[in-house]
Amino acid sequence: MFFHNFKYSLKTILKNKMLIFWTLAFPLILGTFFYMAFSNIMESETLDTIYIAMVTDNEESAVVTALKELNNQTEMIVFQKETKEVAESLLAEKEISGILFLENKTNFVIRENGIKETIAKYVCDEIIKMTHIIEEKINVTLKEEFVENQKEIEAIIFRCMEEMNQYFQNYVPNLQNENHSNLNYIMIEYYTLIAMSCLYGGIISLMAVNQTLANMTEKGKRISVAPVKKGIIIFSNVIASYCIQLFGLVILFAYTIFILKVDYGSHLLKMIALALTGALTGVSIGIFLACIFKIKESLKLGILLAYTMFNCFLSGMMGVTMKYVVDQNIPILNQINPANMITDGFYALYYYETDSRYYQNLIHLLLFASFLLILSSLRLRSQKYDNI
Amino acid sequence: MIIFKTYLKILNKNKWIVILYTAILVFFGIFNMKTTETTSTFTEQKPNITISNLDGETRITQNLIQYLQEKCHVKELKETVSIKDALFYREIDYFITIPAHYEEEFLNHQNPSLKIENTGNYQASLAETILVHYLKIADTYNEFLLSKEEKLTKINETLQLETDITLTTKKDTSAFAKSTAFYNFANYSILAGNIYIICMILASFKNEKVEKRTRISSLKMETLNRHLLLASGIFTWVLCSLYIMISFCLLKESMKSIYGLLYILNCFNFSFCALSIAFLIGSLVKQKEAINGIVNVIALGSSFLCGAFVPLEFLPSFVLKIAHCLPSYYFISINEAIGKMEEISFQNLSTILIPSFIILLFSGLFIILTNWLTKQKQRIA
Amino acid sequence: MKNIIEIKNLTKEYKKKIAIDNLSFEVKEGEILGLLGPNGSGKSTTMNCILSLLRYQQGKINILGKEMTPSSYELKKEIGVVFQDVAVFDELTVYENIDYFCGLYIKEKNMRIEMIQKAMQLVQIESYQDYYPKQLSGGLLRRLNIACGIAHQPKIIFLDEPTVAVDPQSRNNILDGIKTLRQNGATIIYTTHYMEEVEIICERVIILDKGKIIAKGTPDELKELAKIEEKVHVETTNLNPKYLEIIQQMANVEEVNYDHFILSIYYKKGQNNLTKLIAFLDAEKINYTKIFSERPTLNDVFLELTGKELRD
Repeated sequence: MFFHNFKYSLKTILKNKMLIFWTLAFPLILGTFFYMAFSNIMESETLDTIYIAMVTDNEESAVVTALKELNNQTEMIVFQKETKEVAESLLAEKEISGILFLENKTNFVIRENGIKETIAKYVCDEIIKMTHIIEEKINVTLKEEFVENQKEIEAIIFRCMEEMNQYFQNYVPNLQNENHSNLNYIMIEYYTLIAMSCLYGGIISLMAVNQTLANMTEKGKRISVAPVKKGIIIFSNVIASYCIQLFGLVILFAYTIFILKVDYGSHLLKMIALALTGALTGVSIGIFLACIFKIKESLKLGILLAYTMFNCFLSGMMGVTMKYVVDQNIPILNQINPANMITDGFYALYYYETDSRYYQNLIHLLLFASFLLILSSLRLRSQKYDNI
Repeated sequence: MIIFKTYLKILNKNKWIVILYTAILVFFGIFNMKTTETTSTFTEQKPNITISNLDGETRITQNLIQYLQEKCHVKELKETVSIKDALFYREIDYFITIPAHYEEEFLNHQNPSLKIENTGNYQASLAETILVHYLKIADTYNEFLLSKEEKLTKINETLQLETDITLTTKKDTSAFAKSTAFYNFANYSILAGNIYIICMILASFKNEKVEKRTRISSLKMETLNRHLLLASGIFTWVLCSLYIMISFCLLKESMKSIYGLLYILNCFNFSFCALSIAFLIGSLVKQKEAINGIVNVIALGSSFLCGAFVPLEFLPSFVLKIAHCLPSYYFISINEAIGKMEEISFQNLSTILIPSFIILLFSGLFIILTNWLTKQKQRIA
Repeated sequence: MKNIIEIKNLTKEYKKKIAIDNLSFEVKEGEILGLLGPNGSGKSTTMNCILSLLRYQQGKINILGKEMTPSSYELKKEIGVVFQDVAVFDELTVYENIDYFCGLYIKEKNMRIEMIQKAMQLVQIESYQDYYPKQLSGGLLRRLNIACGIAHQPKIIFLDEPTVAVDPQSRNNILDGIKTLRQNGATIIYTTHYMEEVEIICERVIILDKGKIIAKGTPDELKELAKIEEKVHVETTNLNPKYLEIIQQMANVEEVNYDHFILSIYYKKGQNNLTKLIAFLDAEKINYTKIFSERPTLNDVFLELTGKELRD
């Protein structure tokens, strides 16, 4: 009986275009959109070179030398010497971020306030400060050594400059960098995609269970008057929907891993366990909706779609910040949100070294699914209805 | 006229779906604009950092913190928040730990190290620039001066030296970033709202049996289409106006300028195009169940590909090439142009007139296509 | 003949109204029992209660001497049901649909193949076995619906208005099928509001109204309940109203009326009425285009008992 029903359950699900679209095709399409829109966003987060033009009347000055020196030291910022006219037209065309005028007065001209401009300003400031320090150093040394001979003075100035420039060039701030490698927050988008796919699996189980309920469909009446245990039919329908959902997830994982290059962390088994549990949760939501409420099937589907989208919204699908904001301010909302449990589980695998956060999510998911399944089975025990 | 009336009757029957759908779309639009404040970081000059000070209230340490507080947004994280999460979600971009005995080791020339964690983005680079800037000066004076007091005075005195800045722009374009974000999102709301609702109503008209009746009636196919288009146009107009009204409530000042008017005109122009797209799809699709899927693919697709959700400049070039074939791209690039426009000049206006014209061309093309398709179908059937 | 189904004091109340009111009847082995009644008279509710799909407030239902409950799987094996609405999978072909529902009863595959063939032959849809339900006309769909319900060759068959909105050809086909099932030894409970069908196929009829039995018996027994025995209709134009009174005075006449050019005369007793009437019409030189006589129908019985027509 189990296999007879299982076979036909698979057939009916696979023939239903709407089911296949939402559970198999839509996540793939959305994933492709994410990929197209977000594939550059992480690269654009890193700074590309800032170009600054400098306009000067004295090419030999200490500042110009220092700036030229800087070009060799860092790739972050490039100073290039231009005439005033060229520099101004470059600025107007947004080819450069600013113009540094090094005439009798130092002036930094920018178009707008921005981060590149701010960084450039700090660099310019630094040059001025360094020059100031060198001047101070020269003054102090001159006072200390009481020289009056012009040649000696020049020698001292030269020595001080050499000494200080040497110092600055060799200067390395003592920063101990403890960066994480996996900082790509766009991954959250893909995790919500998996979560969405898991929850959309509920559509399949919802329809599969609805078909067996005498108070929902005529087919259900037929099954109810047949000499088979309804439990077996429902169980076999649920297993069939779970199988199809897993098949969809395998495709989605393969597509995101091999084509979209999504990183799910390095724990393959844990990733599979989370996906299996997530899919189970989706199935249990579908069963729950199918047997608890006596409303039209289309309405049940509407509720499921809306519930899924809202949960994905809270877990960061429409903007990763949302997940963080909810996690920080109304944590309870995301603790009862299965989409977030799945998303957060993958996040923990990707970003955290320890496993406790992952297991916490996994256990929450299991509890959530069991709770729904228990309620549903209690409800399904009653086989007679007040009205049909 | 009877078509018009029937159309409105069906619309009225579906009013709760319409209201719900519209409310959700508008809510997403508003929410999207609100988060723009935190994500569009390119107008801010202060990075978000968090400092963990293990050295206590020592003078040297406090001087460093004071400088950072002046130049950065130093955020105190809630106790429940982990630094890891805060960095991942970019609440902060840079995290500095000042170790115990920092001052002592600093003054003893032991070169103490600061522990840092960062996100590796623009903001983090800026934060690091600021930190290194301070350290270089502090370390230099520490090297060449003797007394602690002297060091502190000299460090702070030198830090005061700054380059003079001249700004060349006349308009504060950053104020319009929000308006641009709001209207860019309209690409999704307007497309999804129009296609979903109009297709749903058209599906009632295109219902197999109803359509047969209409077809054998003496009504010309073009007249029917024209009346349906007109009735749908009213809905489109209401939806668009609603969106504009909300923009006035949320973005008061920037909407009251001449630039605000440009946003509105662009929005109306695009709404008309959305109407023509909805109409085309409505004449192709007959099953109500299929509409939901198609709406999602078209509205989400064009929004992702054309920069409604992610700024245009971040899109890969192959995506931009595809985007050029879609009207949404022109709508969004006009919004961007308005946001960045510094003055109303003939040259500036012409940069938005050409894409506007392209949107109009798209609308015309879709309408002609719809009429042609319905005629074809009429003959085959 | 022994009782296959016994129903005692069945009462079913919905929130506001009583759907079945203290109903008792039995179904005998091998008969076709008609449950006749207008829409909303409680026919389908009675059936759903017997099938243990609905909860009921009071009463006892025994099938084959055993109490029927949702888990009486042995009993369910013997039962086949054809519901009023078409209950098939759109995603499966005609053959697959029958196979699925038959498979809920019969595990053995070869046996099933044979049964499916027989069921398809019975309702004559063999040539459509690879079609999908959406490709079938309304009549064929109904036939498929029946095939799904009876493929497993049950002893007891419930048919809930299987001929609603069906073309004449399919209807005859369905009625023939039901007769065949009966010949093969099945007991059939047939609900409908078409009294013509009941007259054709049912041996015994129960007439329901507002959840109560208002009459039962063979179709002929029931017809005796009607006060009239013969109805004569004459199609004639420009009848002088004075003749109505004269006809009224003739022997056995219960009622006369003239409406839309049709003169209807109802007789209490049914012998030689027609010849007398024709003689009268000829004598008075009344021209008529058509004249015909009929026996009273179950509709007349229903009309007599409740004061309203079966079909509204």
